[in-house]
Amino acid sequence: MELEDGRFELREIQKLEGHTDRVWSLAWNPVTGVAGIPYVFASCSGDKTVRIWEQSPSTASWECKAVLEDTHTRTVRSCAWSPSGKLLATGSFDATTAIWENVGGDYECVSTLEGHENEVKSVSWNASGTLLATCARDKTVWIWEGEQGNEFDCVAVLQGHTQDVKMVQWHPTMDILFSCSYDNTIKVWADEGGDDDWACVQTLGEPNNCAGFLVSGHSSTVWALSFNHSGDKMVTCSDDLTLKIWGVDTISAQSANGYAPWRHLCTISGYHDRTIFSVHWSREDIIASGAADDAIRFFVENKDKDGLVDGPLYKLLMKEEKAHDMDVNSVQWSPGEKRLLASASDDGTIKIWELAPVSC
Amino acid sequence: MSEKFSPTLRIGDLSDFIAPSQACIVSLKGLKSSSSNPSANKPEVSTSNQQLKTEPVKISLKDCLACSGCVTSAETIMLEKQSLDEFLSNVNKGKPVIVSLSPQSRASLAVHFGISPLQVFKKLTTLFKSLGVKAVFDTSCSRDLALIETCNEFIAWYKKSQMNDDERCNTSLPMLSSACPGWICYAEKQLGSYILPYISSVKSPQQTIGAIVKNLICQQMDLRPDEVYHVTVMPCYDKKLEASRDDFVFQVESEAKASENEGIKITEVDSVLTSGEVLELIQLKGVDFKALEESPLDRMLTNVTEEGELYGVCGSSGGYAETVFRYAAKLLFGKEIKGPLDFRTIRNSDFREVTLEVEGKTVLKFALCYGFRNLQNIVRKIKIGKCDYHFLEIMACPSGCLNGGGQIKPKPGQSAKDLIQLLETVYMENVLVADPFSNPFVKRLYDEWLEQPGSEKAKRHMHTEYHPVVKSITAQLHNW
Ligand code: SF4
Repeated sequence: MELEDGRFELREIQKLEGHTDRVWSLAWNPVTGVAGIPYVFASCSGDKTVRIWEQSPSTASWECKAVLEDTHTRTVRSCAWSPSGKLLATGSFDATTAIWENVGGDYECVSTLEGHENEVKSVSWNASGTLLATCARDKTVWIWEGEQGNEFDCVAVLQGHTQDVKMVQWHPTMDILFSCSYDNTIKVWADEGGDDDWACVQTLGEPNNCAGFLVSGHSSTVWALSFNHSGDKMVTCSDDLTLKIWGVDTISAQSANGYAPWRHLCTISGYHDRTIFSVHWSREDIIASGAADDAIRFFVENKDKDGLVDGPLYKLLMKEEKAHDMDVNSVQWSPGEKRLLASASDDGTIKIWELAPVSC
Repeated sequence: MSEKFSPTLRIGDLSDFIAPSQACIVSLKGLKSSSSNPSANKPEVSTSNQQLKTEPVKISLKDCLACSGCVTSAETIMLEKQSLDEFLSNVNKGKPVIVSLSPQSRASLAVHFGISPLQVFKKLTTLFKSLGVKAVFDTSCSRDLALIETCNEFIAWYKKSQMNDDERCNTSLPMLSSACPGWICYAEKQLGSYILPYISSVKSPQQTIGAIVKNLICQQMDLRPDEVYHVTVMPCYDKKLEASRDDFVFQVESEAKASENEGIKITEVDSVLTSGEVLELIQLKGVDFKALEESPLDRMLTNVTEEGELYGVCGSSGGYAETVFRYAAKLLFGKEIKGPLDFRTIRNSDFREVTLEVEGKTVLKFALCYGFRNLQNIVRKIKIGKCDYHFLEIMACPSGCLNGGGQIKPKPGQSAKDLIQLLETVYMENVLVADPFSNPFVKRLYDEWLEQPGSEKAKRHMHTEYHPVVKSITAQLHNW
């Protein structure tokens, strides 16, 4: 891949305004941007609304197609599309999760999931779209199963984190759930008996773990995590100013029917000096990070290791200073062919970027 | 620590009992709120990392019940010590003490010592009496009374729901059982007014026996109710919260001080010991429990036959669904169900349903619903009007009461699952299955005192009310 030579530039395609408060999170509709379907993504904000944005096929510019409001009564913290792109889940500080269905361009709230005691921080669908995970400041992680008629049943309430859970994320191919928290750890949850018997099978960075693990874990809040395309690597980002790469042995994962232990592979440190809120791994293995210093950074695997045997495994590809006027809360790579990235910020705006080779 | 509460209560901010939980506003009264956000952090960041560095704050169970800040935040360790110490100091002071044992606690001790529940009962009678306890009773006896009241209430609600009258009736089905304080506390604090009308008004077996002991038995034993110290032995800590509710305190005219118009306040249950605390007591007293002599049981309020056999209903969490189902089938549809009920597992073993069909139509649909996740689904269905059950036996603990947080922990190497299975078997070991309606003690209680199920008297003594806890502004603000 030609990524290595670093001759890339980040072009700002468009700045989207409309939210009247900080924008917390973004989600690209996974079935758009391919086969002539125009790109669509959702954004959610402290203004209690969710906005749906679509790229116009004629002008290629982005427009707000819908504003989902009057459902959540407080900040909407997180949003996620089901794999089919038909349903959008939104999690709010009002302690509820709403499920929206796209009915001919109109978004209808078809279900509200209540149960969390306080602020919902993140929502995530599994690969098949049958399960939805949510997490909250109440320290719990919930798993819901979609039933007929947009009914959702709670199949598990997982307790284990000792603090606010910041994010939940399903593995891209297997029904294994990952959560990261203010308690500095990442937990791995699996249905061991296959009978809705969900339990924590691993904690990454547990403080009372053996010394080897202590070194490898994050030393402050873990804000987000993201998987590579094949799902054998994961990146986490933290308030401790580092990104960490974790790996799993795919062969043993397959033989162990899904779960095999994850190991710390490396730590990317020295690049950030403020909290890293968001991280996203692209299909082409470019890791984007969004941080409290208003910048967006891109990392790639360091193939030549600068000639050293144990040189750094990942290196900075490029950095966009002042990507936004304030904290960057979320960075998300688009689906489809293009190398598009959307970023959301405390400054109330969303930006669409394209990472393109420098044309010389 | 706080693991001892049922998981439903634990779901709240129960993690730290030394410093009150982050949302505990009771403890913050009078203290400077130390929860200002570190400026570097987003308002999203939870504030709980900064433990209150102040002196530990004492919160009474009552404060905790009345507060909306979190589901509960009790200083578990203090509670534990208090109960056992208080119990011992009361016996030592020569107070008349009465103990009521739950069958779940007997099963827990039976499994622990490898003896039968009946032996446990007899040995505990010996132990307690040697300490000076006046009588040792059995809450399966009061449970039969609670079950009868529940059956009666269910029939009334069912009939009401069948008349689809013009005025909207304010009670409708499903009826939700009320015996589990973990669930009640959650319903009052987290769910509020929409769910409370569905909860049966019948008191739990613990409070039922409390009412019987303090209203009736004391007199019969020639004891003054305000002097008697009544202790129950229960499978969970949640029962301590239940016993301390204001609803379970009643007033009697003071005879001695007739001049003063203030009555004397009587608490139905003065203190609750868990199964684990009773084990502690046994260890504290250094008795060889297995070798302890077996005393005859106090028959006054104990489900024991003349021949000395224990009896009671099936169902290790009280048999509410089963008993009401059988009764309703017979009374409403003339169907006498022989043999065990066919409970079918629905989503997981903690959610099982049983139905009655008449002429191809489902006329009764009941379920057992244990543990937090199942409870959640039911509550949501009720809220959106899509719950077609007629009766639900709701228990906060997964697997129900045998798995209560106050039960004796599994032995090293024993899995929690294995222990539950063992407890289930032992629970009904040598216990005759008996219909509550033919319980002679309960019959006598109605004849001599309560008249009949659902009577004014029964309502006054055997039923209770639930109160939504209004979210205070302080609690809301604290959520930032
Ligand atoms: S299920 Fe039983 S043991 Fe558990 S809290 Fe409720 S009453 Fe207590």
